[in-house]
Amino acid sequence: MTEKNAARDASGGRKPRVDRITLVFVAIAVAAGIAVWLRDGPDVVLETMGSSLALLAYLAPQVLAGLVIGGFVQQLVPREKVARRLGGESGMRGLALACGLGLVTPGGPFTSFPLVYALYVAGADIGALVAYVTAWSLVGVHRVLVFELPFLGPDLAALRFLASLPLPILAGLIARGIGRHPAIALPRTPS
Amino acid sequence: MIAGVLALLSLAALTALVTGWTRPGSVRPATRFVVEQGSALALRLPVALVAAGFLGLLVPQALVAGSLGAETGLRGILLASLVGCFLPGGPTVTFPLALVFWTAGAGAPQMVALLTAWSVFAFHRLMAFELPIMGWRFTAIRLLASVALPALAGVLAGAAITLTGVSIAR
Repeated sequence: MTEKNAARDASGGRKPRVDRITLVFVAIAVAAGIAVWLRDGPDVVLETMGSSLALLAYLAPQVLAGLVIGGFVQQLVPREKVARRLGGESGMRGLALACGLGLVTPGGPFTSFPLVYALYVAGADIGALVAYVTAWSLVGVHRVLVFELPFLGPDLAALRFLASLPLPILAGLIARGIGRHPAIALPRTPS
Repeated sequence: MIAGVLALLSLAALTALVTGWTRPGSVRPATRFVVEQGSALALRLPVALVAAGFLGLLVPQALVAGSLGAETGLRGILLASLVGCFLPGGPTVTFPLALVFWTAGAGAPQMVALLTAWSVFAFHRLMAFELPIMGWRFTAIRLLASVALPALAGVLAGAAITLTGVSIAR
């Protein structure tokens, strides 16, 4: 344990924060910003940046809340238990449990993805993680109640809910199949 | 909206307090998780939101609902799946847009495919949250595993309507 920590410190515990993904996002933002500038002019560019930053001010506390919940729940739930219930050997029961969890997880992506990360750290396998995200995004009860029912009415909401209900398990099964391939498999310990 | 944020923050505080009270040893690793993840996101999230904001403007939003009508069948379902992938923004933006398609005459199976595609692929969410938090491997596996779901949901919805004979009220 101490050996591992020492090794991590030696290899530079302070990693540079500007990583590849961030640079890709910078490039996309600049390219798309230039395209909007050329098409709609500088006013629209400034306006869009302003509303993006306003969105950030609204989202940042929620991301923080999601991280705090994820961080502490991760400590509450014993790792071995998650690994057993949602791990690679958990079979259909693990996928069904992950679906059930996704179904009842409230809130937006700023809450659910930190939780997905926490489940991953705790030992859930790719199939369970994908089943969880798919269930949360497709048949999450919270969103159906808050948006779908009022906007589109009970008939269409019910039809979509029923047609989508089997899909998270299907996605989880496919993800388990794809995730075995060494070229794409998730590292077991998150970097 | 503000009430929702406050409720979420209270829930986070409650989780931290209860966990810290019952298991004092968990506070340090939990705090480290929050600081490590939070500092990684501190730069990524603003950049990603600005990028997503510009991309949302560039995606054409006005699409003819007639090409998504119930009589368009599988072709309409596939087109709706494609349109759904590029609907920008969260539910507050998407559901008003979806309502426009629905009232303009899009068919129920096509609407199911469109909403499923948006739910599964939501480009904005993918850019702003999934890639920065989960990385490209997870995202790639999830996308591959989900690529057929919107059309499948549309076909299932169409089959359900045909088999049961129910009419979907607009």
